[in-house]
Amino acid sequence: MQSRFYRRMVRVFGVLLVIMVLANLIKRDQEFSDEENRMLTQKPVLTWESLTSGDYMTDFESYVSDQFFARNQWITVKLYEDILLGKKESNGVYLGKDGYLIEKPDEPDWESVSNNMAAVSALAERHPDISTYMCMVPNSFYILEDKLPAQAPVRDQERDLQKIRELAGGSVHDINVTDVLKEHADEDIYYKTDHHWTSLGAYYAFAAAAEAMRLENVETEYDIHTVASDFQGTLASKSGYHGSEDIIQVYEAANIEPDYIVNYVESNEKSTSIYNSSCLEEKDKYTVFFGGNHARIDISTTQPERKNLLLFKDSYANCFVQFLLPYYQSIIMIDARYYYENVDSLIQNYGITDILFLYNVNTFVTDNSLADVLNPVQPDEAGSPGEASE
Amino acid sequence: MIFSSVFFIFVFLPVTLLIYFVAPKPGKNVVLLISSLIFYAWGEPVYIILMMFSIIYNYISGIEIDYHRRQKNRRRMRFVFWLTVGVDLGILMFFKYYGFLMENINHILPFDIPYRELALPVGISFYTFQTLSYIIDVYKDNVRVQKNLISFGTYITMFPQLIAGPIVRYADIETQLDKRRITLTGFGNGIAWFLRGLGKKVLLANNIGMAYDSIAALPQEEMSVLSAWVGCAAYAFQIYFDFSGYSDMAIGLGKMFGFEFMKNFDYPYISKSITEFWRRWHISLGTWFREYVYIPLGGNRGGTAKAVRNIFIVWLLTGFWHGAAWNFIFWGLYYGALLLLEKYVLKSLLEKLPKLVKHIYTMFFVLIGWVLFFSSGMGEALSYIGTMFGIGANGLADSAGIYYLYNYAVLFILSAICSVPLTYRKFTKFVFSGSRGRTALAMGAYLAIFVLSVAYLVNATYNPFLYFRF
Repeated sequence: MQSRFYRRMVRVFGVLLVIMVLANLIKRDQEFSDEENRMLTQKPVLTWESLTSGDYMTDFESYVSDQFFARNQWITVKLYEDILLGKKESNGVYLGKDGYLIEKPDEPDWESVSNNMAAVSALAERHPDISTYMCMVPNSFYILEDKLPAQAPVRDQERDLQKIRELAGGSVHDINVTDVLKEHADEDIYYKTDHHWTSLGAYYAFAAAAEAMRLENVETEYDIHTVASDFQGTLASKSGYHGSEDIIQVYEAANIEPDYIVNYVESNEKSTSIYNSSCLEEKDKYTVFFGGNHARIDISTTQPERKNLLLFKDSYANCFVQFLLPYYQSIIMIDARYYYENVDSLIQNYGITDILFLYNVNTFVTDNSLADVLNPVQPDEAGSPGEASE
Repeated sequence: MIFSSVFFIFVFLPVTLLIYFVAPKPGKNVVLLISSLIFYAWGEPVYIILMMFSIIYNYISGIEIDYHRRQKNRRRMRFVFWLTVGVDLGILMFFKYYGFLMENINHILPFDIPYRELALPVGISFYTFQTLSYIIDVYKDNVRVQKNLISFGTYITMFPQLIAGPIVRYADIETQLDKRRITLTGFGNGIAWFLRGLGKKVLLANNIGMAYDSIAALPQEEMSVLSAWVGCAAYAFQIYFDFSGYSDMAIGLGKMFGFEFMKNFDYPYISKSITEFWRRWHISLGTWFREYVYIPLGGNRGGTAKAVRNIFIVWLLTGFWHGAAWNFIFWGLYYGALLLLEKYVLKSLLEKLPKLVKHIYTMFFVLIGWVLFFSSGMGEALSYIGTMFGIGANGLADSAGIYYLYNYAVLFILSAICSVPLTYRKFTKFVFSGSRGRTALAMGAYLAIFVLSVAYLVNATYNPFLYFRF
């Protein structure tokens, strides 16, 4: 009986293996996986160098598994296995309740944070006539605590925020949005499948910010447009879980929407909208706001009052700016990760009246680019040593 | 290349099997040798030259030793033997221990000697021990000299056991190299072994390894007593299913090509003493050290003092074999001390204890042993062990500890079930002593293991192999 079983095993698995190998041979190579939002490995080119270094073999192995037949179905099987085994996280993403995917926070780099905050308060002190504001947006793992898997160990982000505020010193006005976000934690203020907050989250935060920044005649009515209802963001790609879909909404001030022009400085392209509808055709639909991150974006509006805002930001600000439009003549958005020009001359040339730092905490505590952008150019570093003037 | 990869299962193995079975009988070893060389070169394109040198050198030495024996020139014979052992061990020392040696010399010296640490050739610890087993047995006239270079090369390189064992002794496989029977039943049995090993590695080891990785990544001062124990238990299951799974796959592949390798693991976690644990864990390594170090040193003959010395030598070497680092040396000596304690002091006491107590006693020391093993240094090891007993721990239990225990509960239970012999015994009994429908059920189980494992492999983001470091 035993030997008959093992003989049958050879036949069953022999046939199965042949079928699977043939399926792989027949299947055409694919370049891009929509499901995983990444380029798939292509057949490597055999060279002497790639052979002796072993790169050829490594690439060939990932080629075979990336181009495996019915790859998406295999991935689905794997996800069901994970659920069966009771896994509550995948690749640094918590599989939360109600379909929420929640990113695990990074370990803060306090040395960079101190440098950055020192540069922020130095900037504020160099320009005492300008109001400098700081708005740190807590992340979903902290605000949506109830959506986390039971007992998931996460940082107390309020303590991190406290530390940042202490480093900021007295010259920077803090805009606290934690409480208002906590208050609305049961609404859709973060995307389920993406690491960003939603326009609704930004809307609540804006109400707190408007008060802190003493904006006048604040708009109370908005026309809300749903521009996408099948958004699956970066956390879906990162974790491999595609169970939920998000809607993306944009907010338009109902009564005092001014006209404006958006100037993408690096590419010198101009637009009459902060929304880029072509991005809704792509995978990362959050880029509908400004088409993603840019080193510098200038927005000029028809707002008559001479108020000019300099905004240092990460991608969380991209959906926040829609609320700021009615109150400034110009808004200059700087993404310190891609920006290398002098900030002090920018402030002078554009008659900046307000400065706002708007970041999500997780990005801010791991950022190491802000200090370099903010620190004034040292006279001896201005020119290269060879051409120093006599 | 590792067995648990899409490339191995769906490209390398089918092609090799096809050519192997098409080839006429005298050519089969050639096919096996060439495919094994490709298998090795796939991961180590440069070090293959080193391995080929080892094969040819030991092949010639074997013939020389045999020649001098027949010439009754014992001095020449002894000279060639010790030279060969010296060269084999010298190569191993140079590639594996050079960096460690220099680091420690620099610690002692007032100045630093610059040195470049070498990349460890994969499998060198394993194949060096195989060549040594051949040379020693030829020298002691236990086996006949191998005059066929193809057969000898096949023995050393055979890809199923090349990279991570089992350490097959030449004496065990001598006849199989030239005469082996491949049956359909044997081949099917090989498939079953391979699939069980694949499941152990991919479904259990890789998944529970994530619990260990997450806990090990916690800062030491944020680790509670509970987290430390959960992490350690997760590692214990990971390394067992990882290594025994790989051994099972090797044994299965061997069967497909008509070889019978020795069992490498025998449910070590059911042991009721440390002595028993080492009879059940990495059996081929223990056998090797007993045959080629402990017994030649005199074993336990010649009084207690000598036996104690011999045991310490064996365990110092066992620890050092696992890695060029102090914590591995301590790990080896730790087991040496425990085994001696059991042999001379605890023996009668242990016999009187209830089974459960003996079991807890064994697992307690095995788990502490794993901390020495997985830590990157003695300092880390001691502070981790401290945490396990509440010294410097973040409380008895915190949410992280509860979270990991609770989220990996299914895997812990599955792992525990698969760690006892009863499970597989019941399975075979159920399948083969009932109605015919039951075998269909068993086939379904094997198919499920295959499909579920392949799903993980296609997604392979996490597929390390712990014993590649050795």
